[in-house]
Amino acid sequence: MFSRFKNAVIGAVSGLETNGIPTPNDPHSYNKQTLAPKFLYGRPAFLNLSEDEVQMSADHRLRPIIHPSMSLPHHAGYAECVNAGKSKWNEDQAVYRQGVLTRVEYNDKQGVQKFSIPYTYYGIFDGHAGVGAALCAANQLHHILHEKLVDAQDDIWIAFSEKKRLKTKPSDLLITGALEAAFKEMDQVIAEDRTKYQAAGGCTALVALFILDKLFVANAGDSRAIICKDNKFTLMSMDFTPENERDRIRRLAEQQPNLLGQEFTSKEYVRPPKSSELGKTVMYRDAHMSGWAYKTLQVDDLKVSVITGQGKRSRVMGIIGVTRGFGDHDILSLYQRTPIKPFLSSHPEVQVHKITNVTENEVLVMGTDGLWDVVCGAKAAEVVAKSLNTFMEKERYVSAATCLVGSARGSLVNEHSWQLKDGKPSSADDISVFVIPLLPYKLEYEKLLGKYSETAESS
Amino acid sequence: MSYAYLFKYIIIGDTGVGKSCLLLQFTDKRFQPVHDLTIGVEFGARMITIDGKQIKLQIWDTAGQEAFRSITRSYYRGAAGALLVYDITRRETFNHLTTWLDDARQHSNSNMVIMLIGNKSDLESRREVKKEEGEAFAREHGLVFMETSAKTAANVEEAFINTAKEIYEKIQEGVFDINNEANGIKIGPQHSPTNPSLPGAGGAGGSQGSSCC
Repeated sequence: MFSRFKNAVIGAVSGLETNGIPTPNDPHSYNKQTLAPKFLYGRPAFLNLSEDEVQMSADHRLRPIIHPSMSLPHHAGYAECVNAGKSKWNEDQAVYRQGVLTRVEYNDKQGVQKFSIPYTYYGIFDGHAGVGAALCAANQLHHILHEKLVDAQDDIWIAFSEKKRLKTKPSDLLITGALEAAFKEMDQVIAEDRTKYQAAGGCTALVALFILDKLFVANAGDSRAIICKDNKFTLMSMDFTPENERDRIRRLAEQQPNLLGQEFTSKEYVRPPKSSELGKTVMYRDAHMSGWAYKTLQVDDLKVSVITGQGKRSRVMGIIGVTRGFGDHDILSLYQRTPIKPFLSSHPEVQVHKITNVTENEVLVMGTDGLWDVVCGAKAAEVVAKSLNTFMEKERYVSAATCLVGSARGSLVNEHSWQLKDGKPSSADDISVFVIPLLPYKLEYEKLLGKYSETAESS
Repeated sequence: MSYAYLFKYIIIGDTGVGKSCLLLQFTDKRFQPVHDLTIGVEFGARMITIDGKQIKLQIWDTAGQEAFRSITRSYYRGAAGALLVYDITRRETFNHLTTWLDDARQHSNSNMVIMLIGNKSDLESRREVKKEEGEAFAREHGLVFMETSAKTAANVEEAFINTAKEIYEKIQEGVFDINNEANGIKIGPQHSPTNPSLPGAGGAGGSQGSSCC
């Protein structure tokens, strides 16, 4: 009972800590704050933290780097630490799951035969404006995805068992489709929950799915996945920020100007026009244009561009700095309260990576932007390689994850300032990292292949 | 479980000196001959009784590995007590004490109570560091000293509890500002001075094992 109360308080508190995103303050949303949260706040289940440890993990002055006390599949590594004080609780969430797609076949000789395709799922979700959406994703997305995979499993199985005869790669498309459909449904679930549960805020979603001979990385948001191998790295996802999604958002704005309210424009100007320049010539471009053109400045041009700012500070409608993910159904622009959700998307980009040629030192690193804001891919690959060389199999991936979080967190140099070794400011955000070895999944696939060809030959 | 005070401890020292084993012996009363390498930091907790008061020890067991030094340094801050551990059978772990001590002094608050521990006292035949040397080092640097064995449990209770007693005395003397959590001391949620203390014959007392790692 106590913890329920406590979590209701946490929810209410985090509703106010919005990372720059104002909580809608109309009466309806106020009522929503009195609803119970859908999932109680906690750290990822696999960390197995006691209530005390959850409190300790949220110490903004120490920012302890927490790692699992039990091994994850194939000693995969995970580590996290809380932000430097921007919100009371760590708003990142993480999850891993192992699932099986089972197919039962009957033939006259051998009777009923059962075939299983195992898969492993990792997800990280970076919450904002509350902890709700990230908790929903961490608790529900894998169930939704499993349903989608089960829907496709007969076709996935046929593609696997008869792959020599098929020229196309249907199972890739089926699994990609399952991920895309699952992301969409997750967002819909959060939308429907709005009348039943406390306001959830929003979250990004980065998912890695190992199935058969492939790794699928689905990303909606500004978390990032890379594959590291001997000090080198390959990007496995792109960041969906207003700056990177400028084209999509401005085109949508141009096609449906009604979504912009009275406040925004799909046009961009070389510099923000002032009212004193009315009637003068300014340089502009429309959403469909790559170059600049001239026009006479009119009142309508004094509206704010739908995308403002650069890099880490770019925003949609002046508010949100990430353009894909779940939730955020109720966020509005600051002044005229224009809904922003139409410009956001839950659609993931899915990258497929064949794992049949991977080597021992190849790992998938998944991190929230708390990591990538200050650690570049090359630096991450270097930190990973060092841990892999220093530690034994059992500890190396957890050590790599811990060192990655450490190299983004830095250390507290005075009462309030966290710094990196070189004196630059470190990441003040929540930081979560998975480091997953790829080779075991290749071996797992070869084992499955061997097992299947045995049964196929004997029948 | 309610407590009068919570003391935060940190355990430091070279890798392989038995820091995690000391913690396990203290919280779980068992010895694990082969212990996994500690990564970053792990946590332990136990309730003790001092002067009839329930005191919760929250223990941060840090990795001794060089690779984690820059991470673990940040955990010294906000510790009321530190156990600085070396292995009596490996001289180099004793030689490194100055480095550890400098680190601790630099990154912790000045009132932190430091207990120097020579561990593995059960391995007398392999001893490389004399007890007198440990005593002399402790005297020179103003530390409390004890030899322990995480294996036989010899002096393990005493090491943790005597450190707590020192901290407790400092509180009584007004050395610690107990309202500042940065000192590693927290007043218990239900503690009030007018409440009669819980029973306990003074000194070391009942324990509540609660391992978490």
